[in-house]
Amino acid sequence: MQKSISTAKALREWRLYLFVAVPLLFILMFQYFPAASAVYHSFFEWDGDDTKRFIGLDNFRRILGDTTLWNSFILIGILVLANVLKLIPSIFIAVMIHRLKSDKAQYWYRLLVVLPMIVPQLVVLFIWKFFFDPNLGPLNKILETTRLMEVLAWFDSTFFAGNTFRTDAPVAWLSQEQLIVPALIIWGFPWIGAVGVLIYLAGLQSISKDVYEAADLDGVSAFQKFLYIELPLIMTQVRLTLILLIIGTLQSFGLQLLLLGEGGGAGGRGMVPGLWMYNQAFVANEFGYACAIGLVLFFFILILTIINNKYVRVDK
Amino acid sequence: MSAPNQNRPAGAPKVRDWPKHLIILFVLGIELLPLYMMLQISGKNNLMFTENPWLPARLGEWQWENYLFAFELIAPAVANSIFITVSTTVLTLFVALLGAYFFARYKMPFSNFLWAVFLFLMLMPGVANIVPLFMLIKSMNLLNTLWALVIIGISGAQVFNIYILRNFIEDLPKDLFEAAEIDGAGHFKQLLHIVIPMSGPIIGTLAILSFLTSWNEFLMPLIFLKDSELFPIGVALIYLDGEYVKQWGAIMATFLLASIPLIILFLFTMKLFVRGLSSGAVKG
Repeated sequence: MQKSISTAKALREWRLYLFVAVPLLFILMFQYFPAASAVYHSFFEWDGDDTKRFIGLDNFRRILGDTTLWNSFILIGILVLANVLKLIPSIFIAVMIHRLKSDKAQYWYRLLVVLPMIVPQLVVLFIWKFFFDPNLGPLNKILETTRLMEVLAWFDSTFFAGNTFRTDAPVAWLSQEQLIVPALIIWGFPWIGAVGVLIYLAGLQSISKDVYEAADLDGVSAFQKFLYIELPLIMTQVRLTLILLIIGTLQSFGLQLLLLGEGGGAGGRGMVPGLWMYNQAFVANEFGYACAIGLVLFFFILILTIINNKYVRVDK
Repeated sequence: MSAPNQNRPAGAPKVRDWPKHLIILFVLGIELLPLYMMLQISGKNNLMFTENPWLPARLGEWQWENYLFAFELIAPAVANSIFITVSTTVLTLFVALLGAYFFARYKMPFSNFLWAVFLFLMLMPGVANIVPLFMLIKSMNLLNTLWALVIIGISGAQVFNIYILRNFIEDLPKDLFEAAEIDGAGHFKQLLHIVIPMSGPIIGTLAILSFLTSWNEFLMPLIFLKDSELFPIGVALIYLDGEYVKQWGAIMATFLLASIPLIILFLFTMKLFVRGLSSGAVKG
């Protein structure tokens, strides 16, 4: 932190304010103003044009009775939970790579982990959409060649209605109501996050040789090593990725928009809060209501961020 | 990120590594399957793909015309993407350097208050802003222009970049600035001739992060652009996905060509890439 400077000097250095004015202008105009505008318009009925009608708290009353919105919150809860579990493979792989003796191998694996990042996220998304394709998609092909399809079909007909998985018809992952949520969860298998693996590896770097040697002398098992040596060291990173992931998942709706469309897919099963806001604004033209939904979402994320700032301290 | 050869674990001599190699290779193999599929399908037509879905086509049968189709389709979008991404990255860093210099150089009156104004943005999720932002851009007559995306990109990235750059500039030796002042250099000159040359690596790292964010953005272009000749890669691919009778070979070839600029960037900046990604995630 810099020391305060005298008023006389500050006056002489007034030009410095011009420096900060530039970024300030950007955030006031394109961040604070839209945020204020969202609060303001959430009290209006507004079709996005000049016709605006003040309706007080009606938008928020409507939110209370909006089952689509609350169902979307349930779905996002499920997806957050799934995403938290999806952290495990990254931790696992990071620990595996870290335990290798050969530095060269460590380097090459690290490179392989980063490799998928050089493909635009959207391309990855569309390749996955192709994986789910009923007729040509590799996922169905894999299930058929490995005969897993028969197992699933048997399971389905024994315990459920028996019309989701069949051996005589291709499985339409993204257009059957009951498969939409599972498809969203399977998406991205085996869920290795390049960024996650890299920061876990960075955390693991600080374990010195001696710790492992001592552990080996004591006959500590591989899993105990993970539990008592490695996990405590990456706990900060895990907590951090966890909270960022939760906040990120709550806001996200791009995946659902592109895989399932504006309506959230068959039966609206893939509807998440962000998508419902997008839908209300750009499909239903209810901009006032969309602003109100945005505020509710903002409120949830704000609470999480405050919890995050309070309990997850990240030191350099 | 420290060098990979520091503090590596030394297992006991009898611990063998090959099972670990097998597990890692197996998991990474599945992880890289989408990339492999993209590569090999890009050389096939639908018929070849149905007959032989998994293995690459023989070189003699490789469908080179897929790439021709892909090039014509995606080249304008790649150009748009490059324009948006490069402008956003350069301007973001320039504006953030100005802000960071202000906070790092002296503690001016109000600088604590201004700092709070910036930091508070970290609490605000962008998703609630999309609708009013659309209205704002519309009233500024910037709807359906690439500059709208550049401006939004710049304002969205300020907090993170100023935060990192401020810490970095504060750590630069004070004597340099004092010497420059004696020579009569103004603040802008100091920024240009001291801060920028000395912050090469951190600016490089931030530039890559900014580049990646901007390159991967598809929601904003989808909302703000209407004319197909303005579409960056993301939106162009969305329309490709909806418009054609699915010729998977041609589609995968398009995906491949759309990835080339990032591949080139990656080849030249592999180290910065890895470091940027790790530090970026830590700072959120």
